[in-house]
Amino acid sequence: MKTLLTCTVNGEERSALGDTRDTLLDLLRDRLGLTGTKEGCGNGNCGTCTVLLDGAPVNACLVLALEAPGRQIVTIEGLSNGETLHPLQQALVQHGGTQCGFCTPGIVLSAKALLDANPKPTEEDIRRAIAGNLCRCTGYGKIVEAIASVAAERDPEKWMPVFGQDHAQTND
Amino acid sequence: MESGPGAAPPLKVIGQRLPRVDARERVTGAARYPADLSLAGMAHARIKRSPHAHARILKVDIARAAALKGVLAVVTAADFPELPLGASVPAGETGYDMWMVAQVNMARHKVFWVGQPVAAVAAIDPHVAEAALKLIDVHYEVLPAVLDIAAAMRPDAPVLHEHLVTKGIEPRPRSPSNVGSRTVIGRGDAAGALASAPATARISVQVDTAHQGYLEPQAVVAEVDANGFATVWASTQGQFTAELMIAAMLGLPSSQLKVVPLEIGGGFGGKIVIHGEAVAVRLAQKCRRPVKLVMSREELLQGGSGPPAAAQFEIAVGAEPDGRLVAIDGTYRLDAGGLPGMSPSLVMQASAALYQTPNLSLQGYDVVTNKPRTEAYRAPVGIQAAFCMEQAMDMLSEKLGMDPLAFRQRNAAVTGSTMPIGTPFPAIGLTTILDHVGRHSCWRDPLPAGRKPRGRGLALGYWRGTSMTSAGHITIAGDGRPMVTMGAVDLSGTRTTMAQVVAEEFGLDIKDVHIQVGDTKSVGYSDGAAGSRVARTMTAALVEASHDALGRLRKRAAEKLQCAGDELDYAAGVFRMTRTGAAISLAELMKATLTEGAIIGRGVSAKLPLGVEVGAHVCDVEVDPATGLVTILRYTAFQDVGLALNPAAVEGQIEGSVVQGLGWALSEGFDYGADGRLRNASLLDYRMPTALDVPKIDCVIIETPVPNVPYGVRGVGEVPIVPSAGAVANAIARATGVRMTRMPMTPERVLAALEAAREGR
Repeated sequence: MKTLLTCTVNGEERSALGDTRDTLLDLLRDRLGLTGTKEGCGNGNCGTCTVLLDGAPVNACLVLALEAPGRQIVTIEGLSNGETLHPLQQALVQHGGTQCGFCTPGIVLSAKALLDANPKPTEEDIRRAIAGNLCRCTGYGKIVEAIASVAAERDPEKWMPVFGQDHAQTND
Repeated sequence: MESGPGAAPPLKVIGQRLPRVDARERVTGAARYPADLSLAGMAHARIKRSPHAHARILKVDIARAAALKGVLAVVTAADFPELPLGASVPAGETGYDMWMVAQVNMARHKVFWVGQPVAAVAAIDPHVAEAALKLIDVHYEVLPAVLDIAAAMRPDAPVLHEHLVTKGIEPRPRSPSNVGSRTVIGRGDAAGALASAPATARISVQVDTAHQGYLEPQAVVAEVDANGFATVWASTQGQFTAELMIAAMLGLPSSQLKVVPLEIGGGFGGKIVIHGEAVAVRLAQKCRRPVKLVMSREELLQGGSGPPAAAQFEIAVGAEPDGRLVAIDGTYRLDAGGLPGMSPSLVMQASAALYQTPNLSLQGYDVVTNKPRTEAYRAPVGIQAAFCMEQAMDMLSEKLGMDPLAFRQRNAAVTGSTMPIGTPFPAIGLTTILDHVGRHSCWRDPLPAGRKPRGRGLALGYWRGTSMTSAGHITIAGDGRPMVTMGAVDLSGTRTTMAQVVAEEFGLDIKDVHIQVGDTKSVGYSDGAAGSRVARTMTAALVEASHDALGRLRKRAAEKLQCAGDELDYAAGVFRMTRTGAAISLAELMKATLTEGAIIGRGVSAKLPLGVEVGAHVCDVEVDPATGLVTILRYTAFQDVGLALNPAAVEGQIEGSVVQGLGWALSEGFDYGADGRLRNASLLDYRMPTALDVPKIDCVIIETPVPNVPYGVRGVGEVPIVPSAGAVANAIARATGVRMTRMPMTPERVLAALEAAREGR
């Protein structure tokens, strides 16, 4: 059965005709063409499809598309501002924290959720925050370094808000 | 590095720790993998798979599925030519067994494992395709299955293949069995030397099947145009190998087919063989629409992809009291899965390669079982063999009362010493690595005491790698910049390191080099990304292409400056007359002469000398005696890389490789039920390491350049997985006094081994 779904994705109201069996991941990838979010397992075990739902990281494959209306969704496409990368994206580039790149969008969003909630995470906090995101190429070391470097250099005044709302505030 | 008269000028771009040239699209989600591709009118395919581990296919009835509304095409084995035994496609020295590849993609007559494809459907959407699978009626005669090496080798075991008569046994056996081949390598009298050796050690290990664990499931989009020309957008380690396989499976001339490699979300050996690409093309031909086929994670774990081999090995070693090794005797039984052809020869050689011994006896068996046909995984079977060999060597050093490092230094292979196959070693550098280990804090500093038992393990690894063929070309753009097209996919940062090579050759900044991966109709034939071959051989090809392009540019510059070519110096993008100082930049030259014809430099590398890979790993562990949980406290990997084209990329390869090895060492293993069904076909139950399970891996990069190879580059990516499980096992033994003989070394197995030791069993 088809149904019209309307939700806010990356600050923009989007509508699509979805199948009632669609997941949020299907809605984003197949109906809205936002293919930056990847599917690694389809049952919530690998974290590849992580997006922010009202500021919290979720596996998009475990959320039904029918749950999306009225919610704020942030995907990897919403993080960079034109040519300017989000500091987390820039750090992953600089530290060699991306190899095949398939897990990278999910890692970026899990890390963003962490830094929005916890400006000064320890290495343990960082490892815990991305423990739900499997990476098979890097062994995690350079990813952890990249996230830590952003936390260390982070200027709260310049922390890039996503579309006018700082998720650090929405989480409080 | 030494400098002096005649020394090479210092490198400017090679050796720099540069970010990936394609990192931006990866961190923004813009990088495009096949599953991201959508074409107008595209159909969605799904594969019907066998529920039985061993059965004869009596009939496949597709009538009900074909009649379902929204179904566009259904295919079975009847839609593909039957390839004879021995069919192959070229690749390197041996080629790929195409009879095997065809069976992996579509079963014919019999199924040999749960999950083997028996039919496929294309439909208007994935939901309809899924519904149609249930309407395909397959009639089977279920046969008894064998699921492990020991069961398969019993004389009364059910035979999988009536044609399979063991090769390598004289006289030739008269009846078929589940052993595809027996391989023997040796010299001297190992049994005699072991019998009289003052110190001996012996271990028998069993390793479970695991998985490469690439995050991107297999995916493909295929389209056939009005003239019958097929385009396949693939996630593959080798676009040309994929093309050869697809063409052979379809009976299509390869001139009627193009494979476009998109980004590959990890391969590690598992995306060399095609998995569904030819099926997608056949469906596209039948339904006259583009077809997308994406595997689910459960599907690829449950027989839809080729996992690495389970193994059962026994190794005995003996030495004189002074530590001099006198014999190595090894038996290597490899579980090939449902189709034969996993020759143990390379891994037998690799596992014994690093030790000098006068007496050597190695025998290997290729055994079939009713499990998915196994495929390559990062230094195929290297980790399994080192898990056995490195424990045997560690046990022997304990018996001798020798330090494990000193024992290895005593017996280390050196340049010119005899390799297992009997030929002398090329430049190897093992003793240099061992010296580095001895000087490093990870070995010298005492292990800090903890509340639970702790131990430190050392293990070595060797991998031969391969060279085969690589090709690329460089077109000079209208603005004078080199535009590189290479025949290798970017599996491990290849675009970046190869852009560094071309920038170095042209004396330019890396930002001035554009690089792309070619499809099979836009670049010369290249073998796939496997055997740690791409960085070395593509460097050679692109050095040649750079010289070719610069030679053509020199000729054109000489015409412009009205001098002879040899009167020009070239540096940093400018040709300059030595005599007058008159100069022309590449940009000026191309602006003035573009319309006179393209400048294209070509390069091919074939049969480049091997750059063997050698590594040594030191691992500190803590073992919880109450739970059996093993925690990695510290891990250091030493590796000779010849020359690091990009140290950040080299570390990335080593760190990732080690962590994959730690996963198999401690938690990753396939759990098959008696019915041949995988019981842990999900990433929850098949447990790969998370960021919480592993420490930062320290890398010590050593550079001993390989002679007669441009820039002296060695392979990097494979060998760091090889010693990892052996290093962990040796550390566990030093911590607890207990030898682990089963891998993965899960908490329950470690706990059982500790309890058995306590009870004196």
